[in-house]
Amino acid sequence: MVSPFKIFPFFIYLFIVCSLMTGCVSYRVIKAVEGRSVPNIFEEFRVGTTTLQEALEALGAPDQVAELEGKDVLIYRKSLLANSGLSFGIPLTDIWGSGFDFSAYGELVRYDLVLLFFTPEGMLSNIASEKGSRYPYLKTIFSDKKGN
Amino acid sequence: MKRFREPLFVLLLVFFLQSCAGWAKNMDYHPFDASKLDKLTPGKSTVAQVTEMLGAPSNIVKLSNGNAYIYRRSLSKGTGIWLLIVSFGNYDKHYDQIVIFFDKKNIMTHYGVTLDANKAAYGLPF
Repeated sequence: MVSPFKIFPFFIYLFIVCSLMTGCVSYRVIKAVEGRSVPNIFEEFRVGTTTLQEALEALGAPDQVAELEGKDVLIYRKSLLANSGLSFGIPLTDIWGSGFDFSAYGELVRYDLVLLFFTPEGMLSNIASEKGSRYPYLKTIFSDKKGN
Repeated sequence: MKRFREPLFVLLLVFFLQSCAGWAKNMDYHPFDASKLDKLTPGKSTVAQVTEMLGAPSNIVKLSNGNAYIYRRSLSKGTGIWLLIVSFGNYDKHYDQIVIFFDKKNIMTHYGVTLDANKAAYGLPF
């Protein structure tokens, strides 16, 4: 019987190339999520009528609390990091002195934020929100527009 | 097709032998006692009673009409997979949080609770 390795040397070449390329070429995809999704329930809140108690019951504990110009701010936040990178290089520094290296990578951190401003009496005075996760990673990375 | 089997098997074997996977878990965490939370009474509980029940807060923030005591625990889980020249990483971090609001007389006025840490999960970045 004739060995398939003799008939298909391509597989042997592929194996050798893959083995040699390991460490020289790499592509990585990383995702990191911190925090919970910010619910849209805050859309039901009304400035001047919603109280601090109602907000805490609906949304739970905020991720951050701060005082800003006499008002108390509850901050609900979720962060989403996306990272991808491609690198290609042949590490010849030990035997050659220098090697060539090419790499490209992108990283984008997006935030879903809801800020609720309350008066010292505990009445909602302002709402600010941003849903950064609606921006797709690759489209944002390759966009020329600032802030998109 | 039989001729392909042997080389294909070798390739798959090499592929998996050169692959690697890892899991990591990081806990800044011991769960809040839910029975203690029921004892918190707005308008009655004091700073001393709260700190006796829950211990030292993770952070204290000065507010317009008092202070907020923040209790925070976190649980994060990471997953990594290396397949020859491609690698995938995923990191998921969630929190258990209690924020307690006190007035200037150190009497609790409100509190909010989020128990979300157990939602941290291993996974892939897709």
